[in-house]
Amino acid sequence: MTRRRTRMVGLYAMLIAGGLVMMLPFFWMIATSLKTRAEVFGAPILSFPSGFHFENYAAMWSALPGVTFGDFFLNSLKIATLTTIGALVSCALAAFAFAVLPFRGRGLLFALVMATLIIPFQVVLVPNFVLFRSLPHPFSSSGNWIGTQEPLWVGAWFGGAFGIFLLRQFFLTVPSELADAARVDGANPWVIFRRIYLPLSKPVLATLAIFTFMWSWNDLISPLIYLRDLPDYTTTVGLAFLQGQFVGKWPEMMAGAMVSLVPMVILFVVAQKFFVRGIAISGLKG
Amino acid sequence: MTDTAAGRAPRKRGGGPLSSERKWAWLFLAPTLIGLAVLSAGPILATLGISLTSWDLLTPPRFNGLDNFSHLAADHRFWVALRNTVFYTVVSVPLGMAVALAIALGLNQAIRGIAWIRTMYFLPLVTSTVAVGLVWIWIYAPQGGLLNELLRTFGIPPQRWITDPIWAMPSIILMSVWQGLGVSVIIFLAGLQSIPQEYLDAAAVDGAGRTARFRHVTLPLLTPSLFFTGILGIIGSLQVFDQVYVLARPGKPTEATITLVYFIYEEGFRFFRMGSASAAAWVLFLIASGLTLVYFRLQRRWVHYQ
Repeated sequence: MTRRRTRMVGLYAMLIAGGLVMMLPFFWMIATSLKTRAEVFGAPILSFPSGFHFENYAAMWSALPGVTFGDFFLNSLKIATLTTIGALVSCALAAFAFAVLPFRGRGLLFALVMATLIIPFQVVLVPNFVLFRSLPHPFSSSGNWIGTQEPLWVGAWFGGAFGIFLLRQFFLTVPSELADAARVDGANPWVIFRRIYLPLSKPVLATLAIFTFMWSWNDLISPLIYLRDLPDYTTTVGLAFLQGQFVGKWPEMMAGAMVSLVPMVILFVVAQKFFVRGIAISGLKG
Repeated sequence: MTDTAAGRAPRKRGGGPLSSERKWAWLFLAPTLIGLAVLSAGPILATLGISLTSWDLLTPPRFNGLDNFSHLAADHRFWVALRNTVFYTVVSVPLGMAVALAIALGLNQAIRGIAWIRTMYFLPLVTSTVAVGLVWIWIYAPQGGLLNELLRTFGIPPQRWITDPIWAMPSIILMSVWQGLGVSVIIFLAGLQSIPQEYLDAAAVDGAGRTARFRHVTLPLLTPSLFFTGILGIIGSLQVFDQVYVLARPGKPTEATITLVYFIYEEGFRFFRMGSASAAAWVLFLIASGLTLVYFRLQRRWVHYQ
């Protein structure tokens, strides 16, 4: 019994020590964001801040002329929300067709969609840019979609391999007798989708929603390419831009990093089980 | 592929519920089909077309055959980008998998508080590379940075890390492994939990020790998870951009850290050489599909499905 006990204590110690190492960058981010600049370079490296210097947060929040970090937040929120809704709608419809409806060429088309999963999206960066550049836009100074936020979320409304895969896997586990019974009663596919499949799919839809939101929120290269004006920036490009303004001002920079992380950290702590399930499902069935 | 409920139902030519379901199917797929045509699959061909031109977006594209590809072949920076991407992949994928496997084995315990401990390991995976990149720049800072200060307590002289040509890429890899660890850990945990306890018990009864059980029971049954994390890691490695963009600034990324995707970004969206960017993108496409193909071919050799 004592040997078992020693083993347990050892295991706990190792797991927690490893976890603390993983968290170290976050601890250091928080500590630095609350220190004065003098403390950052003067005091011992792992010391606690002398007080809560929230002025770093205030300085970071309104560091740029005409915009605040709150504007970046709202932009990210708007784009991530529109992206998430679009992905849910378009992927659920397609996944339902692939899982439940019979049609010619279904296997081939599904294979084609899955093939896009392994292709780095950067391969199509140039043609997509050219496409959005050729679309007229009534409110843009360039007259086309470049310099607007639209290219960042519109694509999600046209399906996505990950979402279609995730939802199709789930739809296949729904007993087909349910749909058959509805068909006998004269239900069309829309009714079967809306009344039977969607209500059963809330957990997997939540999983897809969370992943889509996270990818959109954290995306850097697309906003970098499509956004032109500071007021349109998302938190990621805004933060990257602040990086250029705050060279050497570590407390302010860490405050910025902290603020931009908070929404994702909250989302993760609240919805961890959906994250884990999403990765585990797509992993095991991959 | 017609083994669904509808497929098994009696078929009728012409009218009837099934032919109408077929029409519904195309309706449901319409957004995806448009996306495939204009946003993902179609543009791969467009990339090939643009790669055969010289185009700055301001003047009309001019066909120049394979010039872009021969320029790439002669471009030192392109080869450096390719080499860095390969180095990143070859180091970060096995390293990430090994560390993640060790962590997953440790976390695969039904002990009190394990959910909280797991959260500590998973948290970095939801963070944006820009935000955590800023912290890592600060960790790597030559003066006052955490890493140098910690090393100093062991008497190791300070390094320049991301501004050092030799240490730059390993520094980026370390941060990426830290950030991406959670995904592999979750996949490994799911794999470990799907291994029937009877197998391990049976091996123990037969006198297999801890190491033997891991080597001959756990590891073979975990090969599907290893396979999957491997392919995710490879695809992710070929796309490395954010880390380079954030860590290697201010100032342009030096040759030590430029990656293939950064090269594409730079050619296309800083120098507006669309033809050249597309040629490099096409090379990326060939590498990604080639590697995936080879990887899936080799699957039979070492992956055991239960």
